[in-house]
Amino acid sequence: MTDRRFLILCAGEVLVVAVGNLLAALVIQVLILAAFLDDRRGYPILIAAVALYAAVVAILGHILLSLLALAIALICGYAALTLHDYRLTQWARGSA
Amino acid sequence: MMRPTRTAGGVAALTLALTALAIVIESPAAIIAAGSLSIFLLWRAGRFSRNLHALAASLTVSRDVNRTILRQGAEAHVRVRVDLAPPPGMEVRVRDIPPAVAVGTAPLAESGETATYTIRIMAPGRTTFGGVILSARDTYFSYDLHIRHLNKPSLRVFPVRAAEGGGGREGSGMQEFEVDRKANLEGPTVRGFRLYRSGDDPRLIDWKISAKHNVFYVRELTGLEGGTPFIVVDLPTREEGDHETFARYSMIVADAIEGAIESRTGCSLLVIAGGEVTRFLSGTSDVGEAFAALGGLVPVESRAPLYRAPGSAVLSTRARLPGGGEGPEKAYRARLGRVLTGFVRENRSPFGDAVAAALARVEATEVHLYTLARGDASHLAQVIHLARSRGMRVVAKMPRGAPIPPGADAMEAI
Repeated sequence: MTDRRFLILCAGEVLVVAVGNLLAALVIQVLILAAFLDDRRGYPILIAAVALYAAVVAILGHILLSLLALAIALICGYAALTLHDYRLTQWARGSA
Repeated sequence: MMRPTRTAGGVAALTLALTALAIVIESPAAIIAAGSLSIFLLWRAGRFSRNLHALAASLTVSRDVNRTILRQGAEAHVRVRVDLAPPPGMEVRVRDIPPAVAVGTAPLAESGETATYTIRIMAPGRTTFGGVILSARDTYFSYDLHIRHLNKPSLRVFPVRAAEGGGGREGSGMQEFEVDRKANLEGPTVRGFRLYRSGDDPRLIDWKISAKHNVFYVRELTGLEGGTPFIVVDLPTREEGDHETFARYSMIVADAIEGAIESRTGCSLLVIAGGEVTRFLSGTSDVGEAFAALGGLVPVESRAPLYRAPGSAVLSTRARLPGGGEGPEKAYRARLGRVLTGFVRENRSPFGDAVAAALARVEATEVHLYTLARGDASHLAQVIHLARSRGMRVVAKMPRGAPIPPGADAMEAI
């Protein structure tokens, strides 16, 4: 990715914040990320996850609670990645 | 452990900035922006991890060592071929890890390539290679995976004798080294063992080790450390100079061959004329035979000109050039590398194959290339690159002021 594309991403995020409306922000965000990517294989999964998070934000209606939900989801994801990484390392050592 | 690239770091920084902004202005849209970028990074990390799993599972390493039984301190030449199926968008390199007790560094190799390097084993006993390091990288993450179980073959290293190692025996307690008392009377001692090849002297077969491993092994003597010298002589063409130059060149080459045969136990000789191999002698001790192979070193007509064709070894080197730059330049380099690699696979030259076969037969670590270096030097470039790809050092011996062929490690004026 070139620096120019990163700057476009930053500008797009400013637009998302400026829109204010949750649904409009979600649509613009999806479009920006699609433009940001070279390879869009598996992109519907990302859209589904972002839409799910938008629903959580709409239901909770509170900034800090939304951030807490995001943090929990990220910790779970990180734990899954760490487990995956551990299994790969064990395989590389020849013990799995 | 997975490492973020500069791009992933930038996205993470943007996410943090949006999170702080969302808290300050209490904007749900900012939360959506921050959350979606976080999820984006997590999604990319998951994809990278999955691709890395598939990549590691597809990795096959074929490692050949010229000697698996050798003496402490002796050199071994290693050839490693790496095959894998990299997913789109992922740059992959593989580096071989020599045994822990060895001195030597392996070059990076890409899929389908063969890396060649030399190691020196410094400690006795049985040892294995350290595996390989698989380095993968996409736009957002990179990973260096040390795969230890790809460590075949094992090497068996005999200790150096006390006299050779310079170690004293008095007061050293238990005997640390094997001592061959007869060796001082019998001339060269055994440096190591290698598999028997067609044409080897049957008297060099070590029956004890051959019986143990159920395959013929031959002894390599210390007098041949570094292998017999490999001399490559480029016959001059008719249009390349005057009679005095030819006479002087002939005298120098004859002296070099005679000196090599007399100072060692033999000399390997390759005679080329442009893009044609006229004669090859492997480890000859017969001066007359060597001189006959040179054919009097008279100038010849160039019957197989290469027309400045670089040859497969040079093209392979160019195809492996690091993909620096950004955007279109990087894409251009990557595409050029793929085109050159495809061209190398499909276009083999008889001259290159003949030289490669000759290099495979000799045990030398250094090539002495004698040439007048006039006219088209593409055949010299091919010889040099093929020798270097086998880990050999190339010394070009040519008249002072002549253009140095590309790739030569050193040049000596004759």
